[in-house]
Amino acid sequence: MKVDNSLPLEYGTEQNKLNILGFWIFLGAEVMLFATLFATYFTLENRTGNGPAGAEIFELTPVLIETILLLTSSFTIGLGVHAMRLGRKNAMITFFSITLLLGLAFLGVEIYEFTHYASIGAGLQVSAFTGILLTTLGTHGAHVTLGLFWGLFIIMQVKKRGLTPETANKSFIFSLYWHFLDVVWIFIFSFIYLKGMM
Amino acid sequence: MSELFPRKQVMGFVFSLVLTAAALTVYFMDVSFAVGMTILLATAFIQAGVQLVGFMHAGESEDKVAIYANIYYGIAIALVTIFGTLLILVWDM
Amino acid sequence: MDYFDRFAIPHPSPAIYASMVAIGLTVIAILVGLTYFKKWGYLWREWLTTVDHKRIGIMYLIAALLMLFRGGVDALMMRAQTAVPDNKLLDAQHYNEVFTTHGVVMIIFMAMPFIYALMNFVVPLQIGARDVAFPRLNALSFWLFFMGAMLFNISFVIGGSPDAGWTSYFPLAGNDFSQSVGTNYYLMSIQIAGIGTLISGINFIATIFKMRAPGMKLMKMPMFTWTALITNAIVVFAFPVLTVTLLLGTMDRLFGTHIFSMTNGGMDMLWANLFWVWGHPEVYILILPAFGIYSEIISTFSQRNLYGYKSMVASIVIISFFSFLVWTHHFFTMGQGPLTNSIFSITTMAIAIPTGIKIFNWLLTMRKGKIKFTVPMLYSVGFIPIFTIGGVTGVMLGMASADYQYHNTMFLVAHFHYTIIPGVVFAMLAGLTYWWPKMFGFMLNERIGKWAFWFIAIGFNVTFFPMFFTGLDGQARRMYTYSEASGFGLLNMLSFVGAVGLAIGFAIIVYNVYYSTRHSSRNIGSDPWNARTLEWATQTPVQSYNFARTPQVDSIEAFWDHKKKGKPLFKGKIEKIHMPNNSGVPFIMSCIFFVWGFSFVFSMWIPAIITTIAIFACMAHRSFEKDDGHYISVKEIEATEKDSEVLANESR
Repeated sequence: MKVDNSLPLEYGTEQNKLNILGFWIFLGAEVMLFATLFATYFTLENRTGNGPAGAEIFELTPVLIETILLLTSSFTIGLGVHAMRLGRKNAMITFFSITLLLGLAFLGVEIYEFTHYASIGAGLQVSAFTGILLTTLGTHGAHVTLGLFWGLFIIMQVKKRGLTPETANKSFIFSLYWHFLDVVWIFIFSFIYLKGMM
Repeated sequence: MSELFPRKQVMGFVFSLVLTAAALTVYFMDVSFAVGMTILLATAFIQAGVQLVGFMHAGESEDKVAIYANIYYGIAIALVTIFGTLLILVWDM
Repeated sequence: MDYFDRFAIPHPSPAIYASMVAIGLTVIAILVGLTYFKKWGYLWREWLTTVDHKRIGIMYLIAALLMLFRGGVDALMMRAQTAVPDNKLLDAQHYNEVFTTHGVVMIIFMAMPFIYALMNFVVPLQIGARDVAFPRLNALSFWLFFMGAMLFNISFVIGGSPDAGWTSYFPLAGNDFSQSVGTNYYLMSIQIAGIGTLISGINFIATIFKMRAPGMKLMKMPMFTWTALITNAIVVFAFPVLTVTLLLGTMDRLFGTHIFSMTNGGMDMLWANLFWVWGHPEVYILILPAFGIYSEIISTFSQRNLYGYKSMVASIVIISFFSFLVWTHHFFTMGQGPLTNSIFSITTMAIAIPTGIKIFNWLLTMRKGKIKFTVPMLYSVGFIPIFTIGGVTGVMLGMASADYQYHNTMFLVAHFHYTIIPGVVFAMLAGLTYWWPKMFGFMLNERIGKWAFWFIAIGFNVTFFPMFFTGLDGQARRMYTYSEASGFGLLNMLSFVGAVGLAIGFAIIVYNVYYSTRHSSRNIGSDPWNARTLEWATQTPVQSYNFARTPQVDSIEAFWDHKKKGKPLFKGKIEKIHMPNNSGVPFIMSCIFFVWGFSFVFSMWIPAIITTIAIFACMAHRSFEKDDGHYISVKEIEATEKDSEVLANESR
């Protein structure tokens, strides 16, 4: 395997470059996935049937906590990639671990939020609005859950095999995924919660 | 030591916190729907841009043309889909 | 036994019981045959675990042809049922199931794998690459598609076929009006196949962007590769929409949400909207590769370079964007206002322009060319006038106000068959005949092939042209019968006769494959058509590594220049070649996906949870696996190349 040392490790081989480009294209597909969910959400936003409307169920505190957690985790994984590029394996593992812990905390708050909605009569089957709201949030949440496992696997591999072109490449791609989930959350925060509470 | 300090990441983080705070004005202040949406659209898209360029290093590799083309194309079609759907099913129904 | 009642057919008929027996016997025959001839190891090593793009292409091809006949039988049943007024061959329910599965099978499980068959086989060869960017994902794509197709096909013997049309509009497809599990099959099987297609899309874009031979700039790519690139770009942005649409449909049917329902705020029209946001780009996903194939074939057999290369590229790029801007024309009559309909009417007309440009480019390529009317060329030339009829009637349908007259009549059915059959089926048959020698090392018989072409071309027109008239006279689509007083009888009988002609045409193709396998010469060299692009610069049959030395390209038709002007194509020494390893994981993972889909269809939650975990376990396994591939040594390459060169010299 030819390794080009003039580039960061994660771009080191041809296959690495292919992987990164391929993942960016996948993120393009993810943009459309969430766009379709948003299109559906906006269409059904006011179709609440006999159920509650967004303004009646949204609460700022948990949403703001979720936002700060995810923004911070996006920052720490950025620090992780920075450390990786300086060749600091332990610092990188630490930052990645913090990221995953923040992600886990986010998920905890989201689960609380879901049970809260269910307890105040805004469950999945109540109306078109609650159905698409929980499906959209749930799709994002499922992505975060998948990311937690994926990130854990990558930390284990870096720990065992060190920073090689292969592990660095996986770590970098994981960071792209994580940042992307943060971007999606920003849109959820702005156009589902804040718009709903405005 | 200066290159060890992740300046770009720290700046990006601070900036995204500021943008989040700016977006919160629509909640705490009494703004009209149009003004509110304008603020949200601006803060959300700037935030996305910060993540994309600052954190995700979209423009650093030799494939940056392909990457940017892919993302812009995706966003364009996403907007067409969202606004087209709203036009058909909400605004002009 | 109550548990097993769910697997019963809700609406049985002798034909379905006969199919059950036939399927059972076929499966037993295959299993016994594999065991008797001791082919299990061969099957596993050479096919089920392969990551070679050429073999995956051939597997796509076989699957597509099987599905073509499956969908074709559905079509014949429909035409037979409507051949005479008040026919009792099929009842209404059975007819609903037949037209639903005909549409789904033909679009999702025939046309899609057919284009991916040719893309898989041809694109890496045309750009001078060793394989695709992610060979193992490529295998996963195929097996996901295959398992999706199998899941869909078992519906009619276990639990009942979907019966809400291939568009599966809600509320008809909702639990209230479609109580059998048929629509669950529709949702899950297309979901699984769709994930495979999305992965293929990413794979091919990365391949075409990053793995072209040195010197092959974007504007020097062969036209088929260009169309493949743009097609896959559309796939990447359109298929996620389908994924979400099917997900929301599944939520409604299995988890009781009210997104597409008529109550609690749900909106059934949203399904139609989202379905066509995917559905219209899907039309161009099917047609663009066909345009690429025609460009290659017309240029080869006119013995001229393609006229207007740049305008061709520009028009496909424009189509790729416009294809996302026209979806409303599938439901002009749904009730949205005149503003919306006008906007989408205009975009619909506009998209005809780049398509028109292409037609002129092909005509001008043929002008002053030395045309050879081979079978692939016959399909290509036949395509132009037939497709133009489809295009012109499309513009008629695209006028929103006029559409109220045509909507959901046989006129529409005639229109889209006039675009899809010459646009996709003719192209695939042309491409199949054209690339057949590269795939299998012998040519299909030209004489028999021409008989097939004429049966198909004439049979097609006799089948579908009458539908324009019955449609304008008011015969609605999807009606299982009509009265004698309606006067549709004669023209429908004509359609049936044409359908039989089509069937004979396809049977002749099957016979041609059999005949040519037995009698065709194996000594055809590597370039039997005197073609122009790089895939013909490889040995026949193609070695696993494609090119011993990477070709050096400096023009659009590097291979042609090599042949005519003696420009060297392969420079430098042979070096060892890195190749990916085979893997059984894609096949196993797709089998698990099959069980996963089946569990969801019947709401069996315990197996659903177990298989979900198993799918993620496969992904985790892949994450931890170290697989650096293997090298083919210089010695080995030189040995194989020597043999082929000897063969090549003999054939001269």
